[in-house]
Amino acid sequence: MNELLQFSLCLLAFNCFALAKFNHYRDVFKNRPTKKQSQRFIIAAWISILLSLVLSVAQNNGYGALLFCGYMALSLLILMIFYSFKASWVKIMSAVNITVLMLSGLFLSVF
Amino acid sequence: MKESFFRSMTWMHTWVGLLVCWLLYLIFFAGTISFFRDEVTLWNQPALHQIATPSNRIQIQREQIVAGYDYLKNTAPDSNRWGVYLPSEREPQLNYAYEKPRPEGKRFGGWQDHYINPVTGQDVDQPRETQGGNFFYRLHFDLHYLDTRTARWIVCLASLFMLVALISGVVIHKRIFKDMFSFRSNKGSRSWLDGHNVSSVLALPFHIMITYTGLITLIFMLFPYPAMTAYDNGVRGLFDDVQPTNVRTKSNPEKASLAPIEHVLDQVYTNWPDADLTQVTIRDPNKASATITVRANTGSLVQDQSPTMLFNGVDGSLIAKTNQEFSASETVFDSMTALHTGRLANPLLRWLYFLCGIAGCVMIASGCIMWAKRIRERMKKQQTASFGLKLVEGLNLATLMGLPLATCAFFIANRLLPITTAERADKEILAFFLAWLAVALFALFKRGKRQWIQLAWLNCAACFSVPLINAITTEGNLISYLINGQWALFSFDLICLVCAALFIVQVKKLRTATSKTAPVKRSSRSPKKQLEEQKA
Repeated sequence: MNELLQFSLCLLAFNCFALAKFNHYRDVFKNRPTKKQSQRFIIAAWISILLSLVLSVAQNNGYGALLFCGYMALSLLILMIFYSFKASWVKIMSAVNITVLMLSGLFLSVF
Repeated sequence: MKESFFRSMTWMHTWVGLLVCWLLYLIFFAGTISFFRDEVTLWNQPALHQIATPSNRIQIQREQIVAGYDYLKNTAPDSNRWGVYLPSEREPQLNYAYEKPRPEGKRFGGWQDHYINPVTGQDVDQPRETQGGNFFYRLHFDLHYLDTRTARWIVCLASLFMLVALISGVVIHKRIFKDMFSFRSNKGSRSWLDGHNVSSVLALPFHIMITYTGLITLIFMLFPYPAMTAYDNGVRGLFDDVQPTNVRTKSNPEKASLAPIEHVLDQVYTNWPDADLTQVTIRDPNKASATITVRANTGSLVQDQSPTMLFNGVDGSLIAKTNQEFSASETVFDSMTALHTGRLANPLLRWLYFLCGIAGCVMIASGCIMWAKRIRERMKKQQTASFGLKLVEGLNLATLMGLPLATCAFFIANRLLPITTAERADKEILAFFLAWLAVALFALFKRGKRQWIQLAWLNCAACFSVPLINAITTEGNLISYLINGQWALFSFDLICLVCAALFIVQVKKLRTATSKTAPVKRSSRSPKKQLEEQKA
C-alpha cells in the first residue's frame, strides 16, 4: 500500500505538470488555462512529487531513490499514452488517481 | 568544427550514438533480461518448477547447512570445494554442490550439483544443463566469443559513448520539458523523433545512472594505476586489503579433519542473530588449509558486497570478517555497483528496472532507425543508396529484429534439445548465435520494408512458440502457473505473448505505412488530375 501511495503521488505530480501546460490543458478541458490555474498546478505538482520522493526514501531506505526514478518513468509513460492517444480519458484517469491516492493514504493512516 | 555550439552538439550526438548503437542495443537488451537472471534460469530448468520457497526459510537454514555439511563429508571427501547454497525468494531450491575432479591443466573442474526440495526434503531430479539467465548476464559485458578483457574494454568504450550521447542529447533537446508527454503518431520521421525523445526522457535518470555506474563497476580495469602504485600486486592487493575475507590461503595437501560446522554457525549467529544466510562454501575440505566462508544477504541496503565471514576449517576460528562500516570511497564504489546490478531489489523495483531497460532499448533502436530514415527521405527519387546507408539499414535489421529471434531460439533450444545432449548448455548458446547469424545474412541481401514485415512475422511466431513449446514439453503452462501462483514462470510466458502481440502491431504499422505510400508510387494519373482531386 505504501508503494501505491508513492506512485499515486508521483503520477498526480506529473499530471499536474502536464495540465499546467497550455496545449495539454486545452486537449483535456477544451479551453485555455489562466495564469493562476497554471501556477496552482505547478505548486501542487511540486508538493506531490516531493512528497512521493520523501515517502519513497523513508520507506525503502537506499533503494527509495531508485524506486522513485522508476515511478517517474512509469508515470511519464502512462501520461504520454493518455495525452497522445486518449486525451479525453485524462479526466477519468485523474479521478481514479486521486481516489487511489486517498484510499491508500486512508488505509495507511488507519492500519 | 561546426559553426555553433548547438550544431556541434547535435553532430556529436548523432555520430557518437550511431557508431556504437548496435553494440549498445545488445548490451541494453542482455542487461535488461539479466535483471531477471534467476527467474530466466528457473524457467530453463523445468525440474525445479515444482519447488516452492518454504515459509520458514530463515529459521531452517541452520539445519540445512548441517545436513549439507554431513552429505558432502560422506559424498565427496576428496573434492577441492564444497558449497551449500541455501534457498532464497528467487531461487527456491536447496543445493549441495561439490567440485568435480579437475582435468589436467585446468583450474576448475565444474560443479556437481545435488538439488533438494527444501519443503519436502526430498531429492530433485538433476535439472537439464543450461546457462539460463547467466548467459545473458555474461553476454551483457563479456560479449561471449570475445576474450573477456577485450570485450570489457569494448563495452566500457561503448558505455562512454553512450554517456556522451545522453548528455549531448539533453543539451540539444530544447523542449525537453515541453515535449515530455507528447508523441505524434503516423507522422513519419517526426514520430520516430518523438519516440526517441519520449523513451529517452521518461527514463533519463535511469539511463544516466546505469551508464555511469556501468563504467564504475569496471573502473579498476580501466584505471588500475592508483592501486598499482600503492600495492605490490596491484588491484588484487587492493581488493585483499579492502575485503579481508577474499584472502586465499595457499593450498596444503596435508590431511586434517574439519571443524564441526555447529561451532562455526554458533559464531555466525552470535555476530548476526537475524542473519539471512545465502551460502556456505568450504575450500580444501579435509586438508590443513581448509577454510569455511559464510555469506549473508545484504537485505535492503544499497550494498553489493555481501556480509561475509571467513573461518579456519580445521579449528573453526574466525580469520576475517567484512567491515561493518565502509570508508567513503568503499561506500561509493559498492553502492554504485549495487545500483547497477539491482541484485537485491524487491520485485516492484526489479520490474521498474526492466521497464526502464526496455525504454533504453527503444531509445537506441529509434535513434538508429531515425538516422537511416532521414537519409532516405533526403534522397532524390532516382538516387541510389550509399554504402553507408545500406550498411546502417542492414545492421538495423540484423540487430533489432535478429536479437529477439535469437533469444527465442535460445529458449526453444532449451526445451527441444535432448536432455542427454553432450555440452547441452553450449548448444543452446549456439542456437542463439546461429539464429542471429541467419537474420544477419538475410539482412545482407535485402533490407526493405518487406523484409522488416517478414522478420516481424517470424519473431511473432517465435515469441508465440516459446510458451506453446513449453506447455507441450513440460507439465506446466501459462494457466497452471497462474493457478499455482508461480509468478516468475507466469510472467515469463506472458511477456513472450506480449512480445508476439507487439510484433503483430509492428506488422500492422509497417503495412499501413506501405499501403499509404504505395498508391502514390503506382499512380499513373496526371499531376493536374491529382491536384484537382486534392482540391475537391
